[in-house]
Amino acid sequence: MTASSQQKVKSQDPLAHQLDDSQNETISMIKLIKFAIGLTLGLLLIALPFSQFQPSPLNPLETIVVQQGGRKKPLDTVAQETVAKIHGATVYRHDGIVEDSMTAFMSLWLNNRDWNQAPFVLFSYRPLKEKVGLDPDQKYFSFQTLMTNQALGDVVREAHKKDLEGADLSRNEREAITIEDRLTLMLGSVDDNAIAIVPHPTDVKGKWMGISEESLYSAEAIAPLLSNFTAMKQRFLAQPDSLSGLSTLAAQLTSDLRTLSPVVYPVVGVMDKEVFFNHFHPFASAWKLYGIAFIVMLATVWIKPVELYWSAIGLFVGGVIVQSYGFLLRMQIADRPPVTNMYESVIWVGFGIAAIALIFELIYRAKYYLLAAAPLAVICLILADSLPAVLDPSISPLVPVLRDNFWLSIHVPTIALSYASFALALGIGHVALGSYLFTPSAKARIHLLSQLNYRVLQVGVLLLTAGIILGGIWAHFSWGRFWGWDPKETWALIALLCYLVPLHGRLVGWIGNFGISVASVAAFNAVLMAWYGVNFVLGTGLHSYGFGTGGSEWMIASVIGLDMLFVLAATARYKGWLNKLSISAGETTASANS
Amino acid sequence: MTVNLAKVNLAKSLGSIKLAVPLLVAIATILIGATFYEAEVGSAVVQQEIYKSPWFGGLMFLLAVNLGTSTLLRYPWKGARKIGFAITHWGLVVIIAGSAAVIHLSVEGMMLARTDAGPVSTLRVDGDLVEVAAPGQPSEQASLFIKADGTVVPSQVGGLSLLGYSDNAISTVRFATGGKIENPAVRLVLKSDRMGQSLERWLAAAPAAYDTIDIGPAELQLVKAQTADELVAALTPPAESPVAKQHGEVTISWLGQSRTIDIDQDLGKSLELNAQGQTLSVQTVGFWPDFRLDGNRQPVSATDSLRNPAVQLMVTNGKSSESWFVFGNPGFESIRNSTEGDPIAPLFDVDYEIITNPAPTAFFRLIVDQKGALHYAAKSSKGFKSGAIAIGDSVVPGWADFEVTLADYIPFATVEREIVPLPQRSLAGSPTAGEPALLVSVGEAGKPVWIPWGRPTAIDSEAGDWFVAFSPKLLQLPFSLKLNDFIVERNEGSESVAMWTSEVSLIGPNESDSDLDSYTVSDRSVWMNHPTWFRGWKIAQASWNPGDLSQSTLQIKREPWWVTGLTWLGSAMVTAGVATMFYGRAVAKKLTKQFKGVTDLLETPEAEDAAAASMPHSIPLFNALLGR
Repeated sequence: MTASSQQKVKSQDPLAHQLDDSQNETISMIKLIKFAIGLTLGLLLIALPFSQFQPSPLNPLETIVVQQGGRKKPLDTVAQETVAKIHGATVYRHDGIVEDSMTAFMSLWLNNRDWNQAPFVLFSYRPLKEKVGLDPDQKYFSFQTLMTNQALGDVVREAHKKDLEGADLSRNEREAITIEDRLTLMLGSVDDNAIAIVPHPTDVKGKWMGISEESLYSAEAIAPLLSNFTAMKQRFLAQPDSLSGLSTLAAQLTSDLRTLSPVVYPVVGVMDKEVFFNHFHPFASAWKLYGIAFIVMLATVWIKPVELYWSAIGLFVGGVIVQSYGFLLRMQIADRPPVTNMYESVIWVGFGIAAIALIFELIYRAKYYLLAAAPLAVICLILADSLPAVLDPSISPLVPVLRDNFWLSIHVPTIALSYASFALALGIGHVALGSYLFTPSAKARIHLLSQLNYRVLQVGVLLLTAGIILGGIWAHFSWGRFWGWDPKETWALIALLCYLVPLHGRLVGWIGNFGISVASVAAFNAVLMAWYGVNFVLGTGLHSYGFGTGGSEWMIASVIGLDMLFVLAATARYKGWLNKLSISAGETTASANS
Repeated sequence: MTVNLAKVNLAKSLGSIKLAVPLLVAIATILIGATFYEAEVGSAVVQQEIYKSPWFGGLMFLLAVNLGTSTLLRYPWKGARKIGFAITHWGLVVIIAGSAAVIHLSVEGMMLARTDAGPVSTLRVDGDLVEVAAPGQPSEQASLFIKADGTVVPSQVGGLSLLGYSDNAISTVRFATGGKIENPAVRLVLKSDRMGQSLERWLAAAPAAYDTIDIGPAELQLVKAQTADELVAALTPPAESPVAKQHGEVTISWLGQSRTIDIDQDLGKSLELNAQGQTLSVQTVGFWPDFRLDGNRQPVSATDSLRNPAVQLMVTNGKSSESWFVFGNPGFESIRNSTEGDPIAPLFDVDYEIITNPAPTAFFRLIVDQKGALHYAAKSSKGFKSGAIAIGDSVVPGWADFEVTLADYIPFATVEREIVPLPQRSLAGSPTAGEPALLVSVGEAGKPVWIPWGRPTAIDSEAGDWFVAFSPKLLQLPFSLKLNDFIVERNEGSESVAMWTSEVSLIGPNESDSDLDSYTVSDRSVWMNHPTWFRGWKIAQASWNPGDLSQSTLQIKREPWWVTGLTWLGSAMVTAGVATMFYGRAVAKKLTKQFKGVTDLLETPEAEDAAAASMPHSIPLFNALLGR
């Protein structure tokens, strides 16, 4: 029996009612305190390491504005994106030191050490490494090793030839082109003019220049800037290990650039926001809070004397707040509605799982919503954080079809929220199936779980239906038709059907609680297909702006395979197949069964 | 009574959830298969074979019947759940009806507009059309669907078998001996080792089109020299002429003054002539390489070739304005229309000079003299050569490593035409060389014949001539569209496109005017996600050509308003219905009494759902429908 049902029993007694009032108040007070402790503790946990942050002499350089990839961004972002693209991570560990992206990029840009020999370029695809005669166990290679590798060059040339002819590239060839891109980017970064930091004199949308490129300004105007840059560069070359004196030079450079073209140069603070966002890592902080909330909640369920339900909720709320704040920042920086690429959709789904679970948890106080949601949200956010090659976190301008449309900006988040609901149902389904498998006697819990699951499925069905319809309205404006059987549309419909079938089957009594649990796990594969598979597996259709390079298909397939084995095991236990097997194996126990 | 009972039973099973579930499973399975099939064969085939096929339509119809009936069977709809259920399911029926209507009642197509061309009013609709007239029969039309492998659907139209399709066929001629009048024809073989291919071409004095053939790098010519002077002229290297203006020049003469406008450079610009205190302003408004008037009496260009070049001028002297169409063909009189005020006086003179077939820079010319002897003249960037030639002789004219051999000579030739598909790109590599063609045969046993695209063709048979036309599906719009400007906006400092916008003028005849002589012109901007509507037609930005920024592709669509209304109504019903079904009761409860968390959950909704699923005992509405 849960706490709330006990309350119900109590409140039916009119005499007890008055007596309980003061007691109830105390209970609420304790709950509130526990909640507040959880929330504050969580937020403190996030804020603390940030305040301890060592100011680096490069800090003033971080906010230098660079025009790149169709927008203006701080140098800090350029450094992160460049290092992540070449190195596959935002920190560079070498010779026992850990270099942040800003330090590594400045060193590369101003070329103050021998980058030819540095094992900096990520090369992870083993079959290609084996093919071109490189050590398959080595993860990073130097620029020189890769540039002088004849066999790799041959693969790249063959790939370009095939690309020109419009032929499909093999995995080896796609990987080789990725390596080539990394090398090109690295080579291109070693140049004073690698990044455009000199603003256009008049045109807000005009093309910016590199610092020593033929200038749009008079020689007198640009001279102090150049000498400052040269001084800074000298400093870098002369004393690569002690950059402490750089701050003043850097600050001077930043303000000189601003005074060149004050109208075109973004106002102070705009870049600070993005630099703050880069350092804050809101999504990484959020998953840590979700993780802690999960552990606290698990302790509350398993260890009887621990009653920290409200602290867990507090921590979880902290996570949701941090993630919402991060999302809001990102929207402000990119100046557009959320969810326009795969990365943002994964973050958004993670957020949706947490938010929907939180709402249901606050309504039903069932604990299981949080328990099911937290690991899923953690998985989403870790995936988004650790696969920059597949889920590219960089903010870049939108393609025309995605711009400037009200319907689009609500269609995609709605669809993604429905995916989040189904993901939550998947989580609850797992808890339920786990109960069937390990504690089949806990009938009350299993029944409760399937009811909780049903509620989430309802939300999912409503959101997906609304999302598909909103998509139709957008398509009506953008493509001239409401419905056109585009693969992405079709798969969204298939996903909906995959949930409608069990929900209707349940009405006829063809499936019961167990069936709903299995369905909420199995049908999620259709969601995965609609969300990820259409772009990466089918790779066709009008929604192609969401496409990227695929990869890790086998990993995903094996995870799904294992999950299906789990479902099978739970089914076997539920249906008693294993008993029957042992019965048929040992005839003697047959009578016991009947 | 038994009949009625059977009817009720039929209705029950049609509306039963036990039909719905397998139906949904079937549809989901088909759709999954279809998307994977689509990844293999492309969307056009899947649209044709699955989504727009009659059997899929039938399946959807069955679903609609199931949805509709199940809702009726559950009448009366009491309580939020049932009301929501009814709204949702009928909403789905409405959406399905709307979608079916879209397939049958809407028209859409693509329109390619150019800033340097005149208004367009024909729409290229998806697909091709074949029209067949058997001897003595009225003609029959059919839409064609051509699969990626060249198979044509349907395979029969009006007794004609459609056997295949090639998107790269050329029409060839052969010449045979046996002509009654003198008509020299030669067969030339062109060989290029560098390109590893050889090519054969017939040249003939008649029909006229065969005396010159453009093979890309050069032109092949056949000249009949009637006099010795003509022979000498044909064997003399041509004088170097200055580079001709591609679209020609218009010269305006007025009161002794004259000014020339270069159409290549100055289209859209205006110039002024001043004389005797008066000013005449002339603006070139449009250029059409192959001018004609369409069904709305709007100027259009039939092709991109300089067959009938025309320029439109707007001339004004401050008081009066006139619109002029002047033609490159000296035999065509200019068309003069007063748009404002009295006719302009004193009158001015307009002359439009354009060279429609400029002399080729490289050619191989074969000359037949009065006695029937053969000579050649060849010009290339490397020089000019000439001399006598006989069958079997080869000449290297100097374009790439081409070698031309005279393979045949027929003094009295007759023509035999044939369309043949090319196995691959032609030797000359000219992209305009090939065009689509359809392989047909008369009846089962007839000889297969290729029908060229866009040219009606006659096929002989014992019963008489069959006429077959294979053409693009075009639609005449009730208005025309002029692309005034195509704006490509880039992301700052980069080449990536932020947005592209078509600035268009939509020109439609005034509907109140029975002669369709007056027009309304409406200027609109069309960009991605922001279509514009004109007289019931929707005009949306579809695509662009990165290599040619004076061109824009627009999608033009018309769909009856009530069809759009149906889909939107259905959409609203489904969304509202699902929300009511799931949450209507909870919200109602919330409004009346306290909500009780988990305990509330445990008592719902199984019992009610089960009740909803079991068949109601009396079906009043159905009884009424069945006449009881």
